[in-house]
Amino acid sequence: MAAADSPSAALRRRDLCSRGIRLAGKMRADVIDLLDAYVEQQGLDASASVAAVEGVPLAAVERWDEQTGTQRLLENLAAYRAFRALLAQMLEEQREQLGEADAGLGRALAAVLLQVSAFAYHLEELLRLESRGIPGEEEEEDGPPPPPRLSLFEQKLRGLGVLRELAQWALRSVRDLRQLAKPSPATGVAPGLVESP
Amino acid sequence: ESHIQYERVGADVTMKCGSMDWDAAVTWTANGTDINESRLNGSYLILKNVDLSQSGQYSCYEGSSWHLKYQTYLRVGTPPTEPVLMCRSNNYPKGFYCSWHLPTPTYIPNSFNISVIHGTKDMVCEKDAIPKNRCHIRYLQLFSTVKYKVTLTVTNALGKNFTTLTFDEFAIVKPDPPESVMAKPVPNNPRRLEVSWQNPSSWPDPESFPLKFFLRYRPLILDQWQHVELSDGTSHTITDAYAGKEYIIQVAAKDNDIGTWSDWSVAVHATPWTEEPKHLTTEAQITETTSASTSSFMAPPTTKICDKGAVVGSGAMAVCWTAGLVMAAYSVLFI
Repeated sequence: MAAADSPSAALRRRDLCSRGIRLAGKMRADVIDLLDAYVEQQGLDASASVAAVEGVPLAAVERWDEQTGTQRLLENLAAYRAFRALLAQMLEEQREQLGEADAGLGRALAAVLLQVSAFAYHLEELLRLESRGIPGEEEEEDGPPPPPRLSLFEQKLRGLGVLRELAQWALRSVRDLRQLAKPSPATGVAPGLVESP
Repeated sequence: ESHIQYERVGADVTMKCGSMDWDAAVTWTANGTDINESRLNGSYLILKNVDLSQSGQYSCYEGSSWHLKYQTYLRVGTPPTEPVLMCRSNNYPKGFYCSWHLPTPTYIPNSFNISVIHGTKDMVCEKDAIPKNRCHIRYLQLFSTVKYKVTLTVTNALGKNFTTLTFDEFAIVKPDPPESVMAKPVPNNPRRLEVSWQNPSSWPDPESFPLKFFLRYRPLILDQWQHVELSDGTSHTITDAYAGKEYIIQVAAKDNDIGTWSDWSVAVHATPWTEEPKHLTTEAQITETTSASTSSFMAPPTTKICDKGAVVGSGAMAVCWTAGLVMAAYSVLFI
């Protein structure tokens, strides 16, 4: 824990949090633009309610202000890893459905996927800084069987749900990183990251 | 036995004198004043097309004995129109409040019932003591994509009405205006004004949920506002003010990421720094006061000043001179 407390570690943390906030902010703006394009090009109603979809991590959280720093990082990391897989799946479905007919949407999806991957890596960096082990990703070959094939309309609705939830996560990540960047009054270290072994 | 009777504006009202027969001899009064018999049908009182002025206490007395047989308080009013409902979070992420009113009065008592649903979950909106037409809810979850649905039902004796609002958690976030806005001139800078303000005290955690600000300013003599958006900090220096003109300045706030802009703050007025007018004194007064060290004005070394029309003190003559190095050595006192 001493490494996490040192002034240089605190500075590094603040730097990573600041950069993370900018990354998440940019990602959110791009996801919102992508959402608008997705709704229009998929012929969906922007105000349509989408039921929670299995496998899409929900940004909604109770007692957000009571979470520790480690909880925040771990939940964020799990979410963005899940979004990485979901977006890759959406991209694949997009290519199957439309081929090159909707290259613009495909490029926008790919760009967001890249940002999600980069942000997940950034979160791993933060966890490493706290000398926290990086949780392993679920191996796809050992994971659960793939979900049943959805109809085209179901795929579109799920895509809408994925992007909406991702936009919320990006917003939550900005808030989480701001919390992490706050120094604690006693030690000058970010609250919640230094925990008793 | 006394009753309260509610009737719609424009209705025809028939009042019976309690258990008295139709053909009984009775006298009706309205607020203590006898009612003309032309309004009676037997012992029934007939009021046609009632209006608001006919609200009051109606009493029926038996013929010659003047025993009170029936009394009712007639209240003429209207059923409620659709209420106006507004929900807002000025203290995100703690919670939000909803407030309501009726656009047109009913003139009779109304009761309001509000329900808040988040997804499938009923939430309790705690009524505020003051004002009465407001309640607040604590957010149990943050960052939810599930919408809130608020339904307000207003009921009175003549009918009911309702309205519903559906919104996202972040769409209703609107801070209160910035507080303690101050503006002051910058010494020796005729085109600058320093503006400062504070976060609204109702915003609970500006560190985690920072606000950004929008400042607008204009000279009083013009209608066109200048605008500046500021992503951080609670102060700003205006550098393009018109010299000598009084300005009006306001600030608004918004969460950095979500919601809408606050209302404008209370307006403050300020005028940029201006050079003080040259003191007009006789040569004798200049000689007399050269030893004084207090100075309220130091002219720039090369400024040529000619205050033809300026007068200092009473009866002083206008003096015109070139301010040079000699000028810089003298302090001039106002007498």
